[in-house]
Amino acid sequence: MVGKPKIAVYWTGGCGGCDVSFLELGAPLLDVLAKVEIAFWPALVDAKRADVEAFAPRSLAATLINGTLRTEENVEMVHLLREKSQLVVAFGACAHLGGVPGLANLVSREETLRRVYGDGFAIAPPPGGEADDAPPNLLPQAQPLSTEVTVDYVVPGCPPPPALIGLLFDALLSGDLPPAGHVFAHDKALCEECPRTREDRVLTKIVRPHELVPDPEACLLDQGMICLGPVTRGGCGAACPKAGMPCTGCLGPTPHAGDPGLAMISALASLVRAGDEGEASFAGEDAVLDSLVDPVGTLYKYSLPSYVAKRRSG
Amino acid sequence: MAEAQFEPRIVAFLCRWCAGAGADLAGTSRLRYPPNAVAIRVNCSGRVEPQWVMEAFRSGADGVFIGGCHPGDCHYVSGNYKARRRVHLLKRMLSELGIEPERVRLEWVSATEGAKFARLMHEFVEELRALGPRTDPGEAAPSAALPAPSRRKG
Repeated sequence: MVGKPKIAVYWTGGCGGCDVSFLELGAPLLDVLAKVEIAFWPALVDAKRADVEAFAPRSLAATLINGTLRTEENVEMVHLLREKSQLVVAFGACAHLGGVPGLANLVSREETLRRVYGDGFAIAPPPGGEADDAPPNLLPQAQPLSTEVTVDYVVPGCPPPPALIGLLFDALLSGDLPPAGHVFAHDKALCEECPRTREDRVLTKIVRPHELVPDPEACLLDQGMICLGPVTRGGCGAACPKAGMPCTGCLGPTPHAGDPGLAMISALASLVRAGDEGEASFAGEDAVLDSLVDPVGTLYKYSLPSYVAKRRSG
Repeated sequence: MAEAQFEPRIVAFLCRWCAGAGADLAGTSRLRYPPNAVAIRVNCSGRVEPQWVMEAFRSGADGVFIGGCHPGDCHYVSGNYKARRRVHLLKRMLSELGIEPERVRLEWVSATEGAKFARLMHEFVEELRALGPRTDPGEAAPSAALPAPSRRKG
């Protein structure tokens, strides 16, 4: 083989956190960088779209794309990169499931523009374009990467934990590639690797993280926090629960959980109590359930565009 | 010719011990009620997953009916209580997603309440007619997975 394998890293509608997450690899990053040539990475090297267009088809060994698809330009770029790449990796929760920006799908594109730019906002239309075509040319909805191009692998997480990034590079550099569609995380739930002790208590109240200094040993769900560990893939070493913060589901659901939010509704409904079960407790149980603030934002923090999400009209 | 009336499509999850038996009684008593519901018998209303409700909507249902035993009567002691809590949370989520929560209806129907079951079907169909077909902008047209109910004459 002539020269090192070329890789590209691209961002669409992301926050930049995924680009920074590579640094978390620490010293092993130097080994990785020594073995590849970075052909394109807007956060790091000065190559432009025209340079990518000049690449031969499939000349990039792998392209890692982070961010949700939010603009027409995002879509054009990922198609271009797909054509130039042997492998495309959805890197991070946005590319994988839609991510936090995907919560904008709760409102329409027009409402999003209104809220961001304010009523009566005006951006000059591009030459020869209509006012409606003015930047940023938002798509009607935020979309995960797989809605536009074939995704070979997924490195999940917000941002991906270094251990999982390491698994990707191990596979890419050794040539020992997993089957297409592989997600570089565990198939088992996060609870499997969480050191906290679960006692299967019932939930008599639901608290948000800022309302409680949790017991350091006990399960956070037992303490009334909405921890999505039961429906979320492991692989991060339960980093958040270890630090006293509930899992918010960034690695995405386990293959068996199905729709993570609906699965979690089932689980929560089973746990909630307000005294003995029965008609006399209905109002109390509803009050406990209603103390879950923002069910959609809590249960689909990273995954709304991939599941039940359908935007409102108008 | 008058414009065809909107016929909502309903998926009805009925528990085997109470609501399902009540629906059977409505039938054997020859009570008349609209044929809009596709009945799916489950062992317990507590077995109905929110994922099934959303699957019904995705498959083109306009409404989902869940029938369970009256409080205190659940064959499995507390399955109906679990169903109630699930539906409560699910409805909150549906409103956030822009789906009318009235499209999901949980009712207690005992094995002797054939007349109540028939009345609830009438009510639900009328309510769904008033709401109209469930359409979300930006969503693909509902698939034809569920056949549109046909109305028998007479």
